[in-house]
Amino acid sequence: MTREADVVRSLVEMADTLVDDYDVVDLLTGLTDRCVTLLGVSAAGVMLASPSGSLGLVASSSEAMRLLELFELQAQEGPCLDAYRTGVRVDQEDLRAGYGRWPLFSPAAVRAGFQSAVALPLRLREVTLGALNLFRTTRPPIGEADVIVARAFADLAALSILQHRASAEAQRLNEQLSAALSSRIVIEQAKGVISERAGVDLAEAFARLRGYARNANLPLTAVARAAVDGTLDPRAWTSARG
Amino acid sequence: MPGDRLRRILAELSDGENVWPAARLCAVGPQLTGMKGAGVMLMSDDVPRGSLCSSDEVSQLIEELQYTLGEGPCVDAYQRDTIVSEPDLADPQTPRWFAFTPPVLQAGVRAVFGFPLRVGTVRLGALDLYRDRPGDLSSDQHADALVLADVTARWVLDAQAGAPSGVVAEQLEAGADFHFAVHNAAGIVSVQEGISVTDALIRLRAFAYSHDRLLDDVAQDVIARRLRLG
Repeated sequence: MTREADVVRSLVEMADTLVDDYDVVDLLTGLTDRCVTLLGVSAAGVMLASPSGSLGLVASSSEAMRLLELFELQAQEGPCLDAYRTGVRVDQEDLRAGYGRWPLFSPAAVRAGFQSAVALPLRLREVTLGALNLFRTTRPPIGEADVIVARAFADLAALSILQHRASAEAQRLNEQLSAALSSRIVIEQAKGVISERAGVDLAEAFARLRGYARNANLPLTAVARAAVDGTLDPRAWTSARG
Repeated sequence: MPGDRLRRILAELSDGENVWPAARLCAVGPQLTGMKGAGVMLMSDDVPRGSLCSSDEVSQLIEELQYTLGEGPCVDAYQRDTIVSEPDLADPQTPRWFAFTPPVLQAGVRAVFGFPLRVGTVRLGALDLYRDRPGDLSSDQHADALVLADVTARWVLDAQAGAPSGVVAEQLEAGADFHFAVHNAAGIVSVQEGISVTDALIRLRAFAYSHDRLLDDVAQDVIARRLRLG
């Protein structure tokens, strides 16, 4: 299949999931995966703004600690925060040249092996909800054609966060953002539980959690909640694979 | 790193000093959110366990009735894990709380709102706000209430961990709670010690405070299996 066909299929699949009672973290994790498989990027993540005004990570293409830490840093500074605050795209074609711009983030990104970064604001009409962050480990920087596709993904993601377009008012939005960030905490707690039960690291724990949810066709957050409550057979984690 | 709204709310709560007892949460709550009164109900296992604080007599009544009757905005917010709003109790959108509504209406309450106190899977109770005239929350009041509920949830965990007063504000300012590691570690400790994630979060905090260490560092040690609590 051509890349164009893959992209169109991805957009249709994502739009399809919006019809059902879908899981925001699951959908956004799928989106970051697609950025990596379809676009020439090495890693991707989605950060959303909490009602308190700070950015938190909701989904990323990898659970590697180095990448997660890079997103946590962006609550303080980095392309995501800039894209969120300004509402416009942020490009850093050479992260080594960005030490002055983001003295904490840039060196950390370079240490994690990345060379360039792009952040696209997630916008719904006049409101910015957060940002989609793309990273590349090799030269040249992320291409314009890829950014255009990512833009389409970001727009769809923004729409997806508000389940009902008719009630796109600020309250509803705050509630949705707060729920999405809370879901992510549920998943982090579940990762800890599974990691200890199965004797695996946190990234593998996430892979098993997601694999289980996929196979059982259940929302990711619901499975995570059941993992923490112990209402799912703990043996599920010792064998299941994502 | 706290956002602007959180920073403003923490400043209100601390009032120049770095000490804020439970009563202050409820005392500051109404003015922060533009309401007439505020109260915090602690719950577990779907049952109200008691009131943490209330800003006035009417709020106290709202708490007491929910405790006795087992129904009301806090009970719903907690059980459904969602924000509950009733902008006009005299003409409710959803008929509910048949025992709760008449006495609070009589006490002069027209609108009530319940915000769950939660940290991921951990659910601790709910914050309730009331007003003596009908009407919905503005988006600003709504966002403030969400943040206040977040701060209160952390406050409850810290209080149960025996944290010295003022430490909550410090932790929130430092953004310690926004690190995923803390939640990963809570999951790990819950399995290791056979306790709930709620208790695990409290244990982690208690350990950090009693050893004068950062919560995030303790969490990192638990994840690396360098440290085992218990």
